[in-house]
This record gives sequence, structure tokens and C-alpha cells, in this order.
Amino acid sequence: MRSKARLNWIGIVLLLILSVVLSILTGPGGFSFRQFNQILLFRLPRVLVGIIAGGVLAVVGGAFQGLLRNPLVDPWTLGVASGAALGATFALVSGTGSSILLPIFAFSGAILAIGVVYVLSRSRGGLTVIRLVLAGVIVSFFFSSLVMLVMVIAHRSLGEAVYLMMGSLGVVFTRKSLGLFILSASFALAGCIWLVIHSRELDIISLNEETALSLGVEVQRMTKMVFLIGSVAVGLIVAWTGAISFIGLVVPHLVRMLFSPKHSQVLPGSFILGAGVLLFADVLVRVLTPAGLPLSVVTALIGVPFFVYLLRTKV
Amino acid sequence: MKAITAEKISFGYTQALIFEEFFLAIESGEFLGIIGPNGSGKSTLLRLLAGVRKPQRGVVKVMEKELNQLSRREIARTIAFVPQESFFAFEWTVQEVVMMGRNPYLKLLERPGAEDLKKAAEAMRLTGVQMLAGQNINSISAGEKQRVLLARALAQEPEILLLDEATAHLDLVHQVTILQILKTLNNQGKTIVLVSHDLNEAAFCSRLLLLAKGKPVACDVPEKVLTPDLIHAAYGLEPVVTKHPFTGRPQVLLPPV
Amino acid sequence: MRQVRCEIIIVENSFRGVSLRVFFHCILLLFLLTVVSCGSRKRSLTTEKKLRCVSLVPSITEIIYAIGAEEMLSGTTNQCDFPLRAREKIKVGDFQSPDIERILALKPDIVFTTVPMHRQLIERLRELRIPVYVSHPQDIEGVFAEIESVGVILGRTEEARRLVSDLRRRLDSLPTFSDKPKVYVEISVAPLMSVGKGAFINDIIHRAGGQNVFEDFNTPYPVVDPELVAKANPDVILLLHPLVSEGEIKQRIGWSSIKAVCSGRVYSGLDEDLFFRPGPRVVDGIVLLARLLHPDKFH
Repeated sequence: MRSKARLNWIGIVLLLILSVVLSILTGPGGFSFRQFNQILLFRLPRVLVGIIAGGVLAVVGGAFQGLLRNPLVDPWTLGVASGAALGATFALVSGTGSSILLPIFAFSGAILAIGVVYVLSRSRGGLTVIRLVLAGVIVSFFFSSLVMLVMVIAHRSLGEAVYLMMGSLGVVFTRKSLGLFILSASFALAGCIWLVIHSRELDIISLNEETALSLGVEVQRMTKMVFLIGSVAVGLIVAWTGAISFIGLVVPHLVRMLFSPKHSQVLPGSFILGAGVLLFADVLVRVLTPAGLPLSVVTALIGVPFFVYLLRTKV
Repeated sequence: MKAITAEKISFGYTQALIFEEFFLAIESGEFLGIIGPNGSGKSTLLRLLAGVRKPQRGVVKVMEKELNQLSRREIARTIAFVPQESFFAFEWTVQEVVMMGRNPYLKLLERPGAEDLKKAAEAMRLTGVQMLAGQNINSISAGEKQRVLLARALAQEPEILLLDEATAHLDLVHQVTILQILKTLNNQGKTIVLVSHDLNEAAFCSRLLLLAKGKPVACDVPEKVLTPDLIHAAYGLEPVVTKHPFTGRPQVLLPPV
Repeated sequence: MRQVRCEIIIVENSFRGVSLRVFFHCILLLFLLTVVSCGSRKRSLTTEKKLRCVSLVPSITEIIYAIGAEEMLSGTTNQCDFPLRAREKIKVGDFQSPDIERILALKPDIVFTTVPMHRQLIERLRELRIPVYVSHPQDIEGVFAEIESVGVILGRTEEARRLVSDLRRRLDSLPTFSDKPKVYVEISVAPLMSVGKGAFINDIIHRAGGQNVFEDFNTPYPVVDPELVAKANPDVILLLHPLVSEGEIKQRIGWSSIKAVCSGRVYSGLDEDLFFRPGPRVVDGIVLLARLLHPDKFH
């Protein structure tokens, strides 16, 4: 058992390393235009964004799934990603897209979305998961429509909206915006670390609410904190990459199958595997299409069959 | 000393109250059974006593301290709550589930130590599930699962054990096993509160609380509660009450259909 | 009025290669024949009872004003903002989403539209038997042909011809350019988008004596990878969106070694309509760009 788990850990770390190497070696610019140094200036930030985005989305997805005892929830199905995209849209159309307001607007949008979902889905007996997922889908559609609407009203291209809602790692960084990204990423990572620190509470909440209460967990406080911190972390990422689907849904589930449901393993494992899978999806996008493709197109093509499998076997 | 007291508590899931100004005192070391028809509020009362639900008015005291004044961790070290059945969304092992009972004793980031492992092993031995330690919780039988939940409660080292229909859906063997474990624990001085719909099982308790529609119909030794009149008052049908040939405790037989 | 409606042929000015161009000329010829055959009756109708038209395309609105037919223009869109007087016309909604009821309320004899933007609207108007003109010029010649078509439709054939020959003269007066600087046009930053072969701007760059670095892309407005821009190493960068300043381009990681950035030939704040609108001002755009690309040839 133990040696199998170790092999799995080595496996996901190797996948991440492989994805990083592929990501650095492939790109429409080829392998050897002028000096390699200059390629690195483009590809290293891209790799960095990929690792952080994939990792954070998967960790938050894993935490949400544990919190809600449901393998079908993630930042995307709960509407958090669309909320963040809406926030980012406001920053973009108000001309503050290259300032610190971009991540701030995005995570405010994410908090707004999860807040609405939370209020909509709260019934007398506490949160029910079905209501939560339904509310998430509704809010997700609503906010996506608002993104389109705001873009059209502001006479911006719908292409921009599509990329914001479907994600891309092709961020054009200036020195200032790279600094802002690193700042956002640090906060998002801090959020992930908070979630990892509270793994045991998440383990217990994943049983059920009453049991968690009777085992000494402040369920309501934890629920609010996980929602808040998870949403902020996702918002900080979506501000830069747009909303990328299915990573937060599929990856934690895979990690749970590979290791155990313990969040102290699920969350770090999700970070590594999420980063690897996202970078790999990005490599596919770049190899397949010279003229660019939103990242969610590929992650959804991989993720949907898996989602169907989950739906048929686990729920 | 009183283990738990409920003082003038009122509670309802909606505007309509299930309990109004309800009073109950449970002595330390007592083995109390709570019985009553479906919807009489047995399980709700147990949740109020466990602190899982909060009364809208009134206070619940545990070991003469108000529940509101205690942290969840402090409560969890005193009271363990065994739910009727548990759905496990993820594939935990039995060992992992039982170890969660040690949560109230572990600080943030603290890993379970040798002491905790010993307590969990002891709890599993006592409930006879030590052989299942490495098994997937969703792959074992209902009786085994119920004993695992009891083991988790014991790992909490509680003074008071609250069980909600702990033996429902269990066959005769498993029912008796669990009752024997509870009896042993009670003899060791633990306070036990058992919600049950099985009147014959409840007859093993030292005292019974008979509830109907959130109101106590009777609260006394089983011989005085399990009478045709009181059962009729609570359930609205007249069963046959007889005596257990060995223990002499009252036994309730179904009326002829 | 009914007769006029019957006579106006729906003109689809869409060039896709030579065969379509031939097809277009046939249609135009047919149209002219119809006009000639109906002779005086037609002319008298257009002068006595003025044609009413609605333009849903900002470039067509500009053409209508440039050939002096604005009194026939009864409705435009919110984006039809040039010349300034065009803003005072009745608005039928946004260029992207005009309101069909408001269009019908104006009882137009012809509606000027474009594809792919108005595809569904065109279907509907055709069902209602309202003549539709579909604008889809893909290069400068297409614009000239369109000006002449609009002139014919609105009975301003002479004015249109004069306008086109003026524009041609201005184009011909441009010097010849032996060297062709490589130009990167940026129309959006998130995602990073440029212009490809099918884009109208591609021809503008070509005529202004430049070479579009992404002219190999078949999509008109491709999403491009930033490292491709660095690889292409353009001599001139043209920012046709309001979000980014020249200063920010210099700050972009990996862009500082691009020739255009090194030599400071990054241009922003230009009137985007000169490049995006296939109307009479397109020649202004070409001249403006030619001056930017070849400052030594102008004094």
C-alpha cells in the first residue's frame, strides 16, 4: 500500500516535470528563433501561470468537494469562476485592467458569486448540496451572460469575453503586470496553504455536518472560511487566465482515487496534478492550433467524459 | 452530579415549535432511553442535548456548564454522538474514520501520536472492529458500520454517549452486541442516552422517557413507563405488555392484527 | 413606390476571388440595364418621390454622405458617427444589434447591411420583401466598387464616380515604396489578436507600403501567441485598440528586443475608424499609415 502511494506521488511529480519541459520546448515560435533566452522570456511566465492556475483551481476544487461532500462541485460549477470573470470584465471595461484593481475586482466578483449561491441554496436544514449545485449553475449562467452583456455595452469584442470565460495562459505580461500576478499568486497560494493546514477539519466535514459538529469542528465558521478563501484564491487566478473549466473538478477526484480521501494528501496532490494537467492541456492547445484556442475547449474535452463517468458511477 | 440538563428549552425547525419550555435532567452514570412514536421529537431532543442543534430559548447544561459557554472541542471531549446511519461520500478506511474521534484532542497541524493510535485501537477492540481497520468503510456491513461509528465515539473518550437509533436495521446478533457494549460502558460509569423505537430494547435502560409530540408522557423506570395505558396515550394503540422470563423487565408484544 | 421596389435588385457585394467578382459585375450590369431600360420613369420616380434608405453600416453611412445622398437616409445606427451630422439621424439601435421594428417603422425602400453581423436580420428583411444591400468589401477595390453601387442605387451615379476617381488619384499620388517594413497590428490584448489575410486592414498595410507579419493567417482576426510577434520581429507596431500605450509595449516582457520597440516605431492613439471602416476615409488611413511607414518619402 505504502509503496504504491509513493509510486503514485512520483508519478504525478514526473507528469508535472514532463509538462513543464514540454511547455518550455513547444510553442508556435519553434525551438530556435534567435536565442533561446528570448523564448524563455515568453515561456517561463506562461509555465508559471500554468502551474499556479492549475494548482490553485484543483486545490480549491478539492476543498469545495470535501466541504460539500460531493465530487461534482468545483469553482466552476459553483459559479465562482464566472463571478471572477465578471469582476475582471468590469476592471477591463473601466480601463483599470492593468492595475491592481483587476485582481481585486475579480476576487470581489468571486465572493459575490459564492455569496449569492450560498444565500440561494440555504434552506432551513442548512446547506443542501443539490440546491447548492443548482444555484451554482444558475449563478454561473447569469454571470456569464453579464460578462457578454457588459462587453457588448462597452463595445468590446466578444472574443475578449469568450477568452475570459474559457481561459487561456497567453497572458501578455509587462514588468508591472508580472509583479501584480506574482502578488496575486502569493495570496492565492497562501489561501491554498490555509486549506491544507485545515485538512483534518475538511476530512471531518466531508462526513456530514452533524458528525463534524459532534467531533468538535466549528462547521459554520469553517464553511464560510473555506468558501471565502477558496473564492478569493480562484478570483485572483481567474483575473489573469480567465475561467478554466474541469481542472478543479476532475483533478481532486483522480487524486482521491490514487491516494486516499485525506485532504492532507488530496490537496497537495491536487496542486501537483492540477498544475501538470493544465500545462499539458496548454501544450496540446499550442501544438494543435497555431491561431489560438481557449484552454477550456481542451480541458472540457478531457473533463466531460470523466464527468459523465462520475455521474454514472459515483452519484 | 447532573450529566445533562435541559432547562426550559424551546425549539422548532420552522416557526412551529416542537418543544416548548421542555425540561429534562439526566444524572451522571444513568442509562436513559428515549422512546416515542415517529415524529415525537426523540431524535431532535438528542441533537439538542448533543449541542448539534441549538434551542431557540432556554439552555442545555453539560456537567453543569452551559453548552453555549463551551467550545465545540470542549463539548466533543465530553459528549459523543452516534448518528443513526452515515453516508460516506469518500472512500475512508475504518481506521481513518475511528481516528477522527481523536480530533477534539488534536491541535491545528498536530499529527495523531502514539497515545491517539492506542485510544483508537482500544475503541476498535472494545467494539470488535479491529479486524476491519484497513477496510473501506463503504464495503462493510451495516452492523459493522454501526460498531465503527460507536468506536469513533469511544475514541472521543466521552463522559456521555448519545445514540440515535443505534441498533435500527441491525439483526438480532448485532443488536445484542451493541447493547452489551453499552451496558459495559454504563457499568464503567459512562452516562448513556439511547433513542430507540424498539420498546423491548428500551426496557434494558435504567430509566425511560416517553415522548409524544414534543411533550413528556412519562419519565420513570421501565416498569412504570411501559404500561398499556401510557403506551396507549403515546401511540394510540393498546399492545400486550408482559414480563421477560429471565430479567423480569416489561416486554411489549404487538396487539393482534 | 411599388414599382421602384420591384426594380431595385438586391445587390450582394461580396468578393471571394475572381469568379465572385465577375458574378458581381454581371449583377451590376444587369442592374444598370434595368435602370437604363426603365429610363425616364425610374429617374422621375427617384427625383419626385425620394428613396428612403436605412444604413446599418457605419462605412455605408459615410459613403452616403460623401456622395451627397444624405436626404434619402432616414435611419442609421448608434455607431454611425461620421460625419458629425450623421449622429442626428434617427437611430435604429446598435450596429451589432439593430432593432428590426424600428427599421420597419421607417418604411425603407432599401436597407444597407453587412455580413456576418446582420445575417439573420437580412433573412427576415428578405422575407418581408424589403430590398437589402449586403456590404462585404474585402479590399480597397471592393470599397470603390461599393461606392459606385451605392451611387447607382441612390441615383447619385455621377457623384459616386467622381468620388472614386478622386480617391484613386490620391492613392496614385503616393510615392512608390521599394522597401516594405514589416508591420504588426494589434487589435486586442487579452487575448492577443492581430489581423490576417482576410482582414480589410491587410490591404491597407499593403497599399501603404508595408507587409503584415501575419498575412499567412487565413483567419481575418487571429489570436496570436506573443512569442510569434517576437519571432516575426516587426519594424513597426500599430496599436489599434485603446487599452495599451506605447510605453506599456516597452514594458512587456520579451518585447524590448523587437525592432519596432528598439527604434521607437510603436504607434497608438490613431483614429481606428480610418483602418476598420471600409468607407471613403480608408484612403486617409492608407496615407496616414504610409507616412508612418515611410517618413522619409514625405516632407
